Amino acid sequence: MISVNNIHTYYGHIHAVKGISFEVRQGEITALIGANGAGKSTTIKTICGLLHPREGSILLDGAPIHKLSADKVVRLGVGLVPEGRRVFPVLTVDENLDMGAYHRSDQAEIAKDKAQMYETFPALKGREKQLAGSLSGGEQQMLAIARALMSKPKLLAMDEPSLGLAPLLVKRVFEIIADLNQQGMTILLSEQNARGALKIAHQGIVLETGLVRFADDAASLRSNAVIQRAYLGAG
Amino acid sequence: MNINTVSIFLQTIVGGIGIGSLYALVALGYSMQYRSMGLVNFAQGSIYMIGTYFGIIWYQGMVMGLQVPYPIAFLIGIVLNMGLGLILERIFRPLANLDLMLMLLGTIGLGYVLDNMAIITWGAEGFAVKSPLPNTPIIIGGVALLPQMLLLIGVSAILMVGLTVFLSKAKIGKAMRAAASDRETASAMGIPVNTTNAVSFAIGCGLAAAAGILAAPIVYVNPAMGGPVGLKGFAAFILGGAGSIPGAIVGGLVFGVLEAVSAGFVSSAYTKGIAFVVMVVVLMFRPGGIVGEVTVDKV
Repeated sequence: MISVNNIHTYYGHIHAVKGISFEVRQGEITALIGANGAGKSTTIKTICGLLHPREGSILLDGAPIHKLSADKVVRLGVGLVPEGRRVFPVLTVDENLDMGAYHRSDQAEIAKDKAQMYETFPALKGREKQLAGSLSGGEQQMLAIARALMSKPKLLAMDEPSLGLAPLLVKRVFEIIADLNQQGMTILLSEQNARGALKIAHQGIVLETGLVRFADDAASLRSNAVIQRAYLGAG
Repeated sequence: MNINTVSIFLQTIVGGIGIGSLYALVALGYSMQYRSMGLVNFAQGSIYMIGTYFGIIWYQGMVMGLQVPYPIAFLIGIVLNMGLGLILERIFRPLANLDLMLMLLGTIGLGYVLDNMAIITWGAEGFAVKSPLPNTPIIIGGVALLPQMLLLIGVSAILMVGLTVFLSKAKIGKAMRAAASDRETASAMGIPVNTTNAVSFAIGCGLAAAAGILAAPIVYVNPAMGGPVGLKGFAAFILGGAGSIPGAIVGGLVFGVLEAVSAGFVSSAYTKGIAFVVMVVVLMFRPGGIVGEVTVDKV
């Protein structure tokens, strides 16, 4: 579905991504694993059009998207759950969902999808008129996911969705991601929590200092001794 | 306190609200532009002056001798100034990504350019504008009110309510609030941030034109009229809380009333001084301004 070909992206003056290539396959969860500064977020932002690669290309269903601005990439079907949730704090929960559906004009369908979101994420139910800034971290994460889904994406790009959440909520977020995937959503998941991510992912890409260190199916990565030592905390 | 003192006091307050409405509209312009582009537009006073001319020249028959009624001239002025805003935003957009200091200097420089273009086009000398309404004051409860002042207060109030409703209800209004709070995420949600910025900038210019055209029959129209109003609008913008919409309105009204009260009850010689001293004191205790919301994404 998405093919990333040898992209180089600079974050300010920092050469954060130094020639990364991988594929995200339809219907799968692809996990981007790596430490802080490995280039996960930069890769996600480059795919979403928030950053632009100096070299290389990104193809969505064969069409290049790496030169488009973020608002155009959304239209083509890439939804983003940003790192740190980034809900709009001054907008209500309902308005946040509206913003997710900004490029759509099918009012009746939008209303139906919103109702569906409140079913899928019961934490948001009854809080439609509440300011998003007043929600707890876990609730904001649910809202950020719901907001991205409102754009009806083909690919959901999730940047560190478990970051800063209590262990119980981390588990819940991974369950939600697995559920979404079961319903057919293709997901690109960037995670520091390698254990949780590789448990639900089909494919894993391990990044180190802006380069791909390993790329394999998730089960093989889980049993790889080097990965176990460095990322899964096994002896 | 006898009846006479009370009515003088009320008179002063109403006068302050009138001039305060003017400051509030200009402050809203600063606010709209600051929210969207993180830019304090020091050309706002000059944009206010140009907007005044853009409307008043039609009313005064200065365009091919056409005598356009005041309400129509008012609308033409707003539309033309919004158009100017779209052009100015396009000029500032590339600067926005380069350097904030460049942008500040750019707006100051642009202010001079606009002032001088006005002098070249319409002459350095100004003119008085006759109010479309009668000049006889209306007396309500011992307070004498100029009809033009009432018009200024009334229309300003409508514009402020209109802007608030637009930002809270309209789809693009909500998007403008989203972009003001987090432009990167807004663009990742599909909001064309360049467009919403341009609209914000244009609205700021439209409000400045509205302020100027409403005030024209009360003040003297000339190419230097923008300076003091731009400065006081800026003070109101800071006093209310930079970037806040209700803050700009409150800041403008408070600043206008302060100015009127200090002129009426202390000394007109110290008017500006007193108003600015109060502003500094308020900011010492509430650095975020009177309303001061922390909702603006400063570039």
